[in-house]
Amino acid sequence: MLEKLVSDTKKYWNYAVYATKSQLKSEVAGSHLNWLWWVLDPLLLMLVYWFIAIALKSSGLAYFPIYIFIGLTLWNFWNGVVTGSIRLLKANKGTVSRVFLPKLTLLYIKMMVVGFKMLISLGIVVLMMLCYRVPLTWNVLYTIPLVFVLFLVTFGFSTILMHFGVFVEDLSNLVSVAMRLLFYLTGIFYSIEQSNIPDVFKNMLLYWNPACYVITGFRNTLLYGRGINLYAFAFWIVAGFVLSFIGIRLIYKYENSYVKVL
Amino acid sequence: MNKDAITVKDLKIIYRSLQSKSIKKNLFHPKKSERSNFEAIRGISFSIKEGEIVGIIGKNGSGKSTLLRALANIFAPDEGSIDIHNHTMSLMAIGVGFQTNLTGRENIILSGMLLGFEEEFIRSKVKEIIEFSELGDFIDVPVKNYSSGMHSKLAFSITSVLETDIMLIDEVLSVGDARFRKKSENKMRELISDKHRTVVIVSHSIGTLRSLCDKVIWMHDGEIRMYGETNMVLDEYLAFMEED
Repeated sequence: MLEKLVSDTKKYWNYAVYATKSQLKSEVAGSHLNWLWWVLDPLLLMLVYWFIAIALKSSGLAYFPIYIFIGLTLWNFWNGVVTGSIRLLKANKGTVSRVFLPKLTLLYIKMMVVGFKMLISLGIVVLMMLCYRVPLTWNVLYTIPLVFVLFLVTFGFSTILMHFGVFVEDLSNLVSVAMRLLFYLTGIFYSIEQSNIPDVFKNMLLYWNPACYVITGFRNTLLYGRGINLYAFAFWIVAGFVLSFIGIRLIYKYENSYVKVL
Repeated sequence: MNKDAITVKDLKIIYRSLQSKSIKKNLFHPKKSERSNFEAIRGISFSIKEGEIVGIIGKNGSGKSTLLRALANIFAPDEGSIDIHNHTMSLMAIGVGFQTNLTGRENIILSGMLLGFEEEFIRSKVKEIIEFSELGDFIDVPVKNYSSGMHSKLAFSITSVLETDIMLIDEVLSVGDARFRKKSENKMRELISDKHRTVVIVSHSIGTLRSLCDKVIWMHDGEIRMYGETNMVLDEYLAFMEED
């Protein structure tokens, strides 16, 4: 399986990169502001949530705008890839029903397109941190393994959903409700740590909700000079590999049968 | 010349209970969906030699297009095997899968890469493809704005300029307007005349098959009813269809 994964990826990598570039270009090609939308989109969203947070008077946190923005940035990646993966094969029916293409390639493209937008958002995060003169510690280096966890876990969940999305017609409805719930349980515009949630549940959310774990880790290391919980880190690395393994196996087993169902 | 280009052995393709279901159906009618096991291809074997041009004929739903897709490695065989002996292969079908919000030019590169060509090589052929397709400035417009004729012209141009060892053709010989059809038929003939190129054509047009093919496979209900020299098979087929 690993051999196949490596050789397929190598063979179709150039395709994936080219497809990513053209897809990104095409998304903004028709609009007046063009690529500015990649920056404006997250920026405007941030303003909306900032406004809500102020209205709710729940912000006792330092660097609150950056706090929200980090949450949104990472959430958008996770949410975009996971929900997108369900209908990924249906959306590419025209291609997959006419030419052989390793189905994982479609997921790579999706992850790169959404990942590129995340990268721009993260750039804005850095700019905001400079403006606010956030003091940095060596703990910021934890963001690198955290990004890795984010990619791995997102990939794992998405492979599995991509498979079942072909066979279960209304899976996307179910998942979008689940993701909405998870959105509020991730604390994008409030702090789970400082909320009134009982401690037992608080810890469950902080460590066993992958989006919340990564986002909290980012905020703590970038803004408050703290470290990350290494046990939860190890757990999500292992879980990420296990999920990816299951997903890749499923996809390889059914790869050439999806077209019959679509 | 006498080497096999395609070898098919006991091929079976089944549209099994692999049907898409909703959660609601699963909850309320768990048993009901375990029916239909539709065998589109029922255990066929044949081989095609290098350089041969083989037509596939048969009434609607006889498994022609399924067979072609199986040869193109889009469907996995449920039983049996298909061996294309390391040849490169492309499937030409009406409305080849384009990414509709990308431009024609980008789709040329993407389709070419999916056919297994290097980006450099495709770029060197882009001009020829655009010229052949007669799309002009439309090549830099998103494909979603194309008319269906322009769509098929581009598809045909890509697959015919980027030549592969084995070409599978699904009913594309009636592309575009009369002039382009003439041109594409000539191009087809030129491609087919290459002694090393193996071609499999699915068509309902008896005339096309008679003029192009060396041999014809007659598919009937997922089985091969007859496989042999073009005129013989076509005569039998015509006689059969009239009886019906």
